[in-house]
Amino acid sequence: MSSQIPDFRTLAFEAPVSAARRRRKPAPQAEGKGETLGDAPGFPPYRRGPYLTMYTTRPWTLRQYAGFGSVEESNAFYKQALAEGQRGLSVAFDLPTHLGYDSDHPRALGDVGQAGVAIDTLEDMQQLFADIPLDRVSVSMTMNGAALPILALFVAAAESRGLSRAALSGTLQNDILKEFMVRNTFVYPPAPSMRIVGDIMRYCARAMPKFHALSISGYHMHEAGATPELELAYTLADGLEYVRKGLEVGLAIDEFAPRLSFFWAIGMDFYLEVAKLRAARVMWAELMSAFAPRDPRSSMLRAHCQTSGFSLSAQDPFNNIIRTCIEAVAAVQGQTQSLHTNAFDEALALPSDFSARIARSTQHLLQHETYMTRVIDPWGGSFFMEALTDALRQRARVHLDEIEALGGMTRALATGLPKARIEEAALRTQAEFDSQERIKVGVNRYPMRQEIAFPLRSLDAQANRERQVQKLQAWRSQRDEEAVRKALDALRQAAEREGEALVEPCIEAARCGATLGEMSGTLEEVFGRHRPEAKVTSMGTYREQRASEVRFQGLLERVERFAQHEGRRPRILVAKLGLDGHDRGQKVVASSFADLGFDVDLGPLFQSAEEVAMQAIDNDVHVVGVNSLSAGHRVLVPRLCEALRAQGRSDIRVVVGGVVPPQEQELLRSAGVAAIFGSGTDILDAAATILDLLESSDEGSEGE
Amino acid sequence: MRRLPLETYVEGLRQGRREILSQAITLVESSREDDRLLAQALLEALLPLSTRAIRIGVTGAPGVGKSTLIEDLGSFWVARGYRVAVLAIDPSRGALGGLGLRSFEAALLCEAAGFDRVLIESVGVGQSESDVVDISDLCLYLLAAGEGGDEVQAMKRGLSERLDLVVISKADEARRAAAAQTRRRLRSVYAQGLKDCPPIVLFHSGSANASEGLALEIQALWQRSDRAGALEERRRRQHRVWMWREINDQLHRRFREHPEVQKRLAATEKAVEGQEQTPWKAAHALLAFYEARAERLDEG
Repeated sequence: MSSQIPDFRTLAFEAPVSAARRRRKPAPQAEGKGETLGDAPGFPPYRRGPYLTMYTTRPWTLRQYAGFGSVEESNAFYKQALAEGQRGLSVAFDLPTHLGYDSDHPRALGDVGQAGVAIDTLEDMQQLFADIPLDRVSVSMTMNGAALPILALFVAAAESRGLSRAALSGTLQNDILKEFMVRNTFVYPPAPSMRIVGDIMRYCARAMPKFHALSISGYHMHEAGATPELELAYTLADGLEYVRKGLEVGLAIDEFAPRLSFFWAIGMDFYLEVAKLRAARVMWAELMSAFAPRDPRSSMLRAHCQTSGFSLSAQDPFNNIIRTCIEAVAAVQGQTQSLHTNAFDEALALPSDFSARIARSTQHLLQHETYMTRVIDPWGGSFFMEALTDALRQRARVHLDEIEALGGMTRALATGLPKARIEEAALRTQAEFDSQERIKVGVNRYPMRQEIAFPLRSLDAQANRERQVQKLQAWRSQRDEEAVRKALDALRQAAEREGEALVEPCIEAARCGATLGEMSGTLEEVFGRHRPEAKVTSMGTYREQRASEVRFQGLLERVERFAQHEGRRPRILVAKLGLDGHDRGQKVVASSFADLGFDVDLGPLFQSAEEVAMQAIDNDVHVVGVNSLSAGHRVLVPRLCEALRAQGRSDIRVVVGGVVPPQEQELLRSAGVAAIFGSGTDILDAAATILDLLESSDEGSEGE
Repeated sequence: MRRLPLETYVEGLRQGRREILSQAITLVESSREDDRLLAQALLEALLPLSTRAIRIGVTGAPGVGKSTLIEDLGSFWVARGYRVAVLAIDPSRGALGGLGLRSFEAALLCEAAGFDRVLIESVGVGQSESDVVDISDLCLYLLAAGEGGDEVQAMKRGLSERLDLVVISKADEARRAAAAQTRRRLRSVYAQGLKDCPPIVLFHSGSANASEGLALEIQALWQRSDRAGALEERRRRQHRVWMWREINDQLHRRFREHPEVQKRLAATEKAVEGQEQTPWKAAHALLAFYEARAERLDEG
């Protein structure tokens, strides 16, 4: 009897492969189950997966994004990760590097080595990959604004170890369009930035065939507030622009399209995220058909996924382990090609060894203890999932068409439309969480009575900077200055000539010893530095969601009473200090506070402490709200308090919102910060606390 | 919030201290009665202003490039050692119709603090534009290159006669032709009217030449106006106009806040809307209550 019971595992393994072999034509349509029920994985439009055998022959790549502090620390971390089963490296650079600044630049103060590793010189790059076989380990580098100097340094470092550039495999994110849309780590204005993207595309297609020149990203749009349909539509719209660029710089479609890759966020809307990955593949195949590729890989959307950072909570953080796991499952069932899983403490700090291990284990468990790698597209044919996939396709199509009608994403960005839609979505989400229409466990439901303390990775900002400054001095003293100058001149001349290639001159400069800041600065002399406009759109969105609540009305009245009593509305400057370009929090606070009746000044990005103080004083604000995600606040916020004091305006309150680990809260309070709001704070609570502060200082002075 | 003693404001402004200036502006913009008294005392202490500052109003439709122009022009002047202040008139702030009321005082404070160029930007909607004209020595109107007949025609009556300079923004190389066309249209609009067409300057952001050209034009206009005595006359008019604005604002406010009026306002408005009473009669009835006259108007 028992021999007649089929072995489930064998069945699951064999059936999809043989089914794929059998089906050469689409099966007949089943009513209401979506158009392409008969699709097979590995065949266009790749709804069921880009490859024939998917994970059954090769699982997704475990690729954890990491980097912090010094190159030595990062190098050690990478080697550890490789030893523990990670297959590819993914490098996180610090903010000064992203923005083309060397670590000794005045604007880099507070941000060196904080959000990633600091790379200034060829030596740094060499040390970052010390003892790591770059011909066998693929390296993904998240770099956009300073993509050119980083690529140059990478190639120069590899060659200095005897490797040919053609042997290097990996990815450069190089997706500048989304920087202008949401992430704000650009250097030059849009047109020269696109020129650089095209140049890198052409170079990699011809000289580095194993290197992906683009990772077209939706992740950051999700983090900025985009819904899955917006993320899908805008990412594909970006993709279209890049395809056009590749053709414009003289490449044939099949020369570069096979090496385009995509990068999605995976949030907690489980089914929708699975559908998103499937819908994306179908839509991309459809879009690419217009370019008549011959190579089937040109229409194949391959994706890296990262579990959502936004979904993580600072409170009750162990829940994040579960969140990340659920999101990882969605990514796997959506059939991603590589995956990064977040660590549970990432809402508070960079991952510790302990939490990073759990993040990695999450993927190991999925790969080794479940049977998910034995099955191809388990959701195929599901009435629900196919209908969801198609519905998402339709909705994304509307947004995509809107962008194309404006002339493509580059033009659309200039109108501000994509940014406005994403901001609006972010505000609605905030209102939904604040009003408990949406639940975050441990934050607005079932909060912990007592937070559990556990060790967090803490980086010494000053030490990082000092070390890099010394290294830079030593580096400059031992290099051939003349050679550097000549190489930079050549780079500048190439930049001045439209259409001239930039990668080779940049590699030459890197080889001669030019620093990242010098290479980027040279280009900046020609292209200029892009200064984004500080603007809030989406006024009224937050109010729309919450106006019916008693608490909201109560606060509106309170603000009115304050205005009557004070003679003017409470005025707040919502500021961004340092090089952190994430402005979701800033925009959400600005817009919702304006809805509550505050007078809101929106500070521009990339301000120094002195600049923020000046704006606060010039506008005579009551309070400065600093939004911080990148830990630059440790150095910069005390400087802000000091600058205000020095000008006799210590009466202007400073409050901080965002990611502030518990051990740093004391530091900030003693520097003069009046309140700290963790992520997940209800806007109304923050507003009430601020009004308390303003009214209490009022009382103080009345009594004098 | 804390208020400083009068002497601190006065002294601070004389010394050109920024942090005192900004608090003084808050003071004059405040709606509190005690603040207003202090503000007026401050202004009296500063009069007469004998500065040689140029007050330049910048008007034009939203999106036409006012902020960019102000930034470029401002930076140009700052680089040459001038002290530049920028005031923005924002109609969403402030009570009643008197949104621009305090802007005049704010501009005076900037001058008292030693700023020699005060740029006053209107948000570009409605009343704020005429407010700007009433404060400034020179009024700039911005049009974007390529803007056609509609926008040019839409330059409001009363405004077009009081402009001193028209600037065509976004007039870079690529848009030379469009800019020229806009200029032609503008000239023909003026040709149909009674007033001479003001000077027209082309401008685009990021060009040092354009900023310099504009600055020189402004300087020349101002000097001409000064020599002809027109500037002086304009300044006298400004002070007079602002007195009347304050009177208007106060009358309006006092009327509205009068208890007898407040009692009847909602009902009266309803009656007028429902055509139970003529607007004329309703208005005079309310006014009668405001003036506390016993007589009532007969029905019919």
